[in-house]
Amino acid sequence: MFPQLLVNSLIAGAIYALVASGFSLIYSTCKFVHFAHGATIAFSAYFLYFLFSDLGLSFGLSVIFTIIFASLLGWLMDKVVYKKLRQRKASKVILLMTSFALLIFFESLILMLFGADVKTIGYVKIARGFDFLGAIITPLQIVIIAVSLVLLVLLYFFMKRTKIGKAMRAVADNKEVAEVVGISAENIYSWAFIVGSAIAGIAAILVGLEQNLEPMMGTNLMIKGFTGAIIGGIGSVPGAVLGSFLLGFAENFGIWFLPSGYKDAIAFAILFIFLLFRHQGILGIGRNSK
Amino acid sequence: MISAYLIHLLILIGIYLILAISLQLSVGFTGLLNLGHIAFYAIGAYISALLALAGLPFWFCFLLAGIGAMFFGFLLAISTNKLKGDYLALATLAFTFVIYAITLNWTGLTRGPLGLPGIPKPSLFGFTFSDNFSFLVLVFVIALISYLIITRITKSPFGRVLEAIRDDELATRVLGKNTFKMKSYALGISAFFAGIAGSLYAYYITFIDPSSFTLSQLIPVLAIVIIGGLASLKGTIIATIILVLLPEPLRFVGFPSSIIGPARQMIYALLLLLILIKKPRGLYGRIELE
Repeated sequence: MFPQLLVNSLIAGAIYALVASGFSLIYSTCKFVHFAHGATIAFSAYFLYFLFSDLGLSFGLSVIFTIIFASLLGWLMDKVVYKKLRQRKASKVILLMTSFALLIFFESLILMLFGADVKTIGYVKIARGFDFLGAIITPLQIVIIAVSLVLLVLLYFFMKRTKIGKAMRAVADNKEVAEVVGISAENIYSWAFIVGSAIAGIAAILVGLEQNLEPMMGTNLMIKGFTGAIIGGIGSVPGAVLGSFLLGFAENFGIWFLPSGYKDAIAFAILFIFLLFRHQGILGIGRNSK
Repeated sequence: MISAYLIHLLILIGIYLILAISLQLSVGFTGLLNLGHIAFYAIGAYISALLALAGLPFWFCFLLAGIGAMFFGFLLAISTNKLKGDYLALATLAFTFVIYAITLNWTGLTRGPLGLPGIPKPSLFGFTFSDNFSFLVLVFVIALISYLIITRITKSPFGRVLEAIRDDELATRVLGKNTFKMKSYALGISAFFAGIAGSLYAYYITFIDPSSFTLSQLIPVLAIVIIGGLASLKGTIIATIILVLLPEPLRFVGFPSSIIGPARQMIYALLLLLILIKKPRGLYGRIELE
């Protein structure tokens, strides 16, 4: 039981970490809660299904197009909707409500285009899992954990080493000063959406292969990723990753004490508790609370 | 046939009106961005349905639905006392998820996804509201009373304190008002009316299940409040009528119901997006969200 729960926690944590890191990248740069990040994931997963299962494209091509599609979707949301609100200097609360409306809009669109029934991508044949220290793990699950870890390391170096990554951190830290030294904040916001949504696209592919697709999957993943981000410290990408793995552990070990149906409720309860008592998260600094 | 359809729409307008004006009290008048309203609606519906199925009289179930929701409203107000703006929005959102997860998983009480069927028609003083027309009269009377009470509250000294809290909480506290107590009352009263709206809904449909109380149900109510304009009860009434009727022509074009459901949500989400971008004050709004 224990090794299996450990493996399950790692898989859940790896997926949540991908969701949370993209979300947290956008939050730390643009300073608002982009709920529609969940819609980007759900829509991208359905897009992969459409390309691979409906159109019959090769899997490699489908994956590349899906990632591009996710980036484009995030970029468009920023350009068409959020940018207008920023120009009007709308408050964070307005932006939050807007992103919420976007999430519901895209979920309903998915429901309309693909129907309410569950879809399966079925690229990976159901394989016998390996026995790993008394726990069963499938090859796909190993790929999920590996891809997730590699991506997170890449993201770390992207933020630390590249010009855009540094500019993002500058804008996140102090937008006015960044603009004084000649960084265009609007440009960086676009980049945050492009990079964050590309990570969402990759998350969508992995989730789409591991689980079934359903129209509401975006909201569920968003809440998990978001909870992970809050636990770790919402403005910090490493914090979001740490929080996501902690959430994965809490959920999976929680079912030792509670019926497994309450897995989701555990996440929401943790989210609620953190918002009340430590909304800056474990690694976050106590600012922008008021 | 036509009149039965019209009566159905009028009943919906009545129920949505109670929900929207009570949300207006917490969002528009007190400035608490409460995204937990659907949870109070759900609590009211479930309390009322469970008591009615146990054979208790209508007036008792109806009142207890309101009081039960109010109790949770106080609970939420006490726990989120220190949060503001987007953090409050997120905490109340998490509350919605927790309540949803409970209705779905506490199968011993709520029968989970199977829902609670066979809720009896309400009866009062020996008269049973068995047909829809008499039920419409009941809904109309309750909506009218709710409207009068909330109007009364907003014009009272208590209502003025609430608006003062919305505009400047610190200054209100400096003037010696116990803002914490006032905010709790506002949220409690708001929850009470959401609870009785839930009770009416349960009695009307005679069947409830968790899917009636998901996050996407919040979109129409939130859209009504924002489109009508914050802190304007007149705007709320007009917006309720417009928004309930707006998606109805879809029915006559002959779309299947699997399209109409998501299309309705998309219309509401789009309207909310448009109003937030183009005219954030709504139709008759006196203030803008901060």
